[in-house]
Amino acid sequence: MSALRQLASKFFGSDTVFARRTVGGIQPLPFKEDSLRSRIMSTPIPQQLTIPIGAADGGEITLLVDIGEQVSKYQKLAVISIFTEGVSDVPVHAPTSGVITSIENSIVADHSQQQQLCINLAADGHDEALQLEPQSNYSLLSRVNIASLIRDAGVIGMGGAGFPAADKLRLCGESAIEFLIINAAECEPYITADEALLRERAEKVVVGAEILKQASAARRCIIAIEDTKPDAIDALKQALKSEMNLDQTCELVLIPSKYPAGSERQLIKCVTGIEIATGQHPTENGIVMYNVGTAYAVYEAIVEGKPCVSRFTTLCGQELKTPKNFEVLIGTTADFLFELCGIETSNKQKSILGGSLMGSELGSDKAAICKTTNCLIAASADEFQAPQAEQACIRCGFCADVCPSKLLPQQLLAFSKTADTTQLLEHGLFDCIECGACDYVCPSHIPLVSTYKESKKLIATRRQDLEHGSYWQQRFQFRQYRVKKEKDQAVSRKVAVPAKPTLAAGPAVKQQNKKTDFISKEQASLDIAAAVARVKARRDEKNQ
Amino acid sequence: MLPVISHWLTQLVIGSSLLLITAFALLKLNRYLRQQLTIQKSLVKRINRALPQTQCGQCGHPGCLPYARSISLGEASNKCPPGGHETILELAELLNEPVRGLDPAHGEFRNFSVAVIREDECIGCTKCIQACPVDAILGGPKLMHTVIASECTGCDLCVEPCPVDCIDMINQLAPSLPQTTTPYFNSLSSPWVNS
Amino acid sequence: MSGLVAGAPFQHSGRNIAQLMQTLLYALLPGIFASLWFFGFGILINIAIAITFAVLAEAAMLRLRNRDIRSHLSDRSALVTALLFAIAIPPGSPWWLVALGIVFAIVIVKHLYGGLGQNPFNPAMCGYAMLLLAFPLAMTGWHIPFEVITGPLSVDNLGTPILTAEREFLSQLSWGSFKQALLLAFPFAASGAIDISEFVDGLAMATPLIEFKMAGKSALLAARESGASLFARESETAWEIINISYLLGGLFLLYKRVISWHIPFAIIATVFILAALFYAPGSVAIYGTPYLHLFGSATMIGAFFIATDPVSAATTRPGKLVYGFIIGVSIYSIRVWGSYLDSIAFAVLFGNFCAPILDQYCRPRIFGHGLRSKSKPLPNEVPVKP
Repeated sequence: MSALRQLASKFFGSDTVFARRTVGGIQPLPFKEDSLRSRIMSTPIPQQLTIPIGAADGGEITLLVDIGEQVSKYQKLAVISIFTEGVSDVPVHAPTSGVITSIENSIVADHSQQQQLCINLAADGHDEALQLEPQSNYSLLSRVNIASLIRDAGVIGMGGAGFPAADKLRLCGESAIEFLIINAAECEPYITADEALLRERAEKVVVGAEILKQASAARRCIIAIEDTKPDAIDALKQALKSEMNLDQTCELVLIPSKYPAGSERQLIKCVTGIEIATGQHPTENGIVMYNVGTAYAVYEAIVEGKPCVSRFTTLCGQELKTPKNFEVLIGTTADFLFELCGIETSNKQKSILGGSLMGSELGSDKAAICKTTNCLIAASADEFQAPQAEQACIRCGFCADVCPSKLLPQQLLAFSKTADTTQLLEHGLFDCIECGACDYVCPSHIPLVSTYKESKKLIATRRQDLEHGSYWQQRFQFRQYRVKKEKDQAVSRKVAVPAKPTLAAGPAVKQQNKKTDFISKEQASLDIAAAVARVKARRDEKNQ
Repeated sequence: MLPVISHWLTQLVIGSSLLLITAFALLKLNRYLRQQLTIQKSLVKRINRALPQTQCGQCGHPGCLPYARSISLGEASNKCPPGGHETILELAELLNEPVRGLDPAHGEFRNFSVAVIREDECIGCTKCIQACPVDAILGGPKLMHTVIASECTGCDLCVEPCPVDCIDMINQLAPSLPQTTTPYFNSLSSPWVNS
Repeated sequence: MSGLVAGAPFQHSGRNIAQLMQTLLYALLPGIFASLWFFGFGILINIAIAITFAVLAEAAMLRLRNRDIRSHLSDRSALVTALLFAIAIPPGSPWWLVALGIVFAIVIVKHLYGGLGQNPFNPAMCGYAMLLLAFPLAMTGWHIPFEVITGPLSVDNLGTPILTAEREFLSQLSWGSFKQALLLAFPFAASGAIDISEFVDGLAMATPLIEFKMAGKSALLAARESGASLFARESETAWEIINISYLLGGLFLLYKRVISWHIPFAIIATVFILAALFYAPGSVAIYGTPYLHLFGSATMIGAFFIATDPVSAATTRPGKLVYGFIIGVSIYSIRVWGSYLDSIAFAVLFGNFCAPILDQYCRPRIFGHGLRSKSKPLPNEVPVKP
């Protein structure tokens, strides 16, 4: 097998390596040609920008500007502190110059589809920018320097996770990195943002990869791309041979075009043969992965000194006259982009955020593009079939054949229907990456992923309930112990207090009093300890 | 010669496979019985897990654990209004009993709510503090009190003792823990992503 | 979990159950044509009766269960059950036998367990097994094609009278034989054209394997003593061609990815290996050759069409292999040591019994689980309360 791969490598050029076989996966119709027909277009500056600053899953926001303030392009507007695996700060920059009109909740084009806090910026059209500080010779920068520059530029994972890029570098510092993988496997139908980016700006992506390689101290840098993207592959080969890539340290790996090949763990397995254990981070296994878009943003952040204020987004769908890829300013609303492509609003059925397999319906056309919005589809009425009526599961096992996590969706479905938590966990419900491959092949048209999402939510709620329960129980037991202790103290005080006036009782009592006083002073702590022990013993007894 | 070999082979194959199957079954049975034993031992714990831990005392017991103990000794399991229908179902399944509706003598189902003190009206009597089973109310004599929302179990016990009726139960979707959410819950919102 | 969910994914492969079943029906065609060629119109009449009653029973049960009749009938699963059942039933069986079996299969085995997708046992095989237990005589009488009867092993020593002329007549494809086949299926319509009782009593056993088995040791030994090769004519039999037709149909299913290779492969491999192990040339040859076991019986249709019924089979990949192994062992042991003639039905039902536990214990390793490297607590475990 390896000989075959070597042969193929020779045929395609020395810098191309073919990857291993993927696990599961499907080959849906890609629908990518339309948006690739034209070149990437930079959007004009819209009059109104809605810049999301809310962290989707909790976190703190530090506002650096006020309503009514005039801001310049690239000025820091706010800092989002996210509390996942340690605090990480992500600054948000102004995409253009203008006046801040309001700060309020509005819908953002990300998959949570919740309202987020946004800064509304009225653009003045002058696009007055702050002075940038380009680092033309990045090879002189230290790892820490690069990381802090990337952090300051507000670069986050552009593939969809939105994990701060600098934090990944921090994780890289904790273990030796063997592979840096640049993920150009854009496997989902409709999305072409990465492919278009590679086609036109592969050199910059390669430089970004070089910078990331330097910053993560990785031994090898691999750019993984599907073998069905000839233009992007050619551009990458050119870039890898060009003068900018002096060290020739990046390798190109072609992977079979299968959805979901671009999923992090699956791609790692495909490219390196290493399987990341559930619950482990790839960096623990010496692997770190960045999206192509992230690599480009890193290039901009370091070499041009530009903060992350734009991203590449695909606009496609049968409803658009000229589907294409845009370099969009963060905060542009979806309808502005739709209009740029020439939309026939009369028979537009729905807008979809993301690709056709993992996307979600866009709540409103006013939704703002955020740093993770990779694709918007304006679907016509007959573009996507209305979901067919669900039929009974016949356990054909097609779903298990295509599952990239090697799960048994048919069994998970049965256990989901009976809400059998133990079996669901046993069968790896939380290893489901919700790629939708099982839905795609299901001959019974069962909405499997939706069912799993429900089950996950159910189990998460149950887990949360248990957490609360145990917390409350602790509090209750502590209170019982406290009340008991106070009562004990009150009793001992009562014993002590009446003894004082009855002097007639004579010296013996006095002595006793003194004795108790003596004890209570000297051994107060011991008494408490004894009481605690008593309570504990009783509790243990009762528990058994 | 050959028939003899195949004769012995048959016996060997059948005998050893039977042995293997028996051994496997015995091992599984052993594990199952052990599990059953531990389950029996920890019945109180398991019942307690199913209870909502609001410590409200509506079942007539001081706290959830005493009620769990009492259930394990045979008391009816349908006396817990804050647990909702889920708790009743879970307990019925756990105890292998038919599902019964909530005993109306012990209250009725209600959404999760949190006590909120209207602070202007509070006279600082400390009665609610004494009533609170989880020490979720802060305050001193003659001083204004307040409920620590993240600690409140929604048990309702503080409402009645208040002499000036300044405590409201406000509906909430779900209780919130004092800590920030764990990374695990975050991972729910973003399934897989090309980094 | 309501019927229509508008969430992701929005794209679909476009496959549906009706298509799968349709492909299955197409794949059965070569085998059915081969049977038609060698056994005459009996099989077509079986199929017609079975389909009629299957559709009627299915519609009635859907009606009783308050399901939408049109959409559920159009999934064609009842047709597949009817066809598989009709193929298993001896041609020339009376109509009530076929009707009873298929109604039992559809009503009791399929719908009373919850309809499509819920039945733990293969409906067609349950119907067949029920008939075999209840009407053993009627179920074991097959028209033997004339080539078989004129072969060297005329089972004279079994004491079965053979009406060669009539049988030859029946297996021809002519209007006359069609009429006779109809009369066999609907005896009440007989108006003296042919004496039915002569036919029915005169039918002998079905497959070469069964003949072989019924002939028993004595015939074998006698044949060996006389120097005749018992297996010489196998390559010429109708059953071989029928089996090859079903094998082709099965390969078509594999090509169309309607079934996976695991179950057929495991069954065929197991039967072959067992037959090869026990058949020692020159020894007491009561076991039959591997070739006879694979092509002289119903192994192919069982392996490709009956055991692969997804609803009642094991559903995990390793489970499917074990399931096929269990069925293979059962097929071989029931044939060789059991008292039933051909054993696909019982073997598959036994496999069905094992399927749920196979699904539970034979699971593929989940991606990222069970790796030996660093052991970290999985986030999956529900926190246990102190």
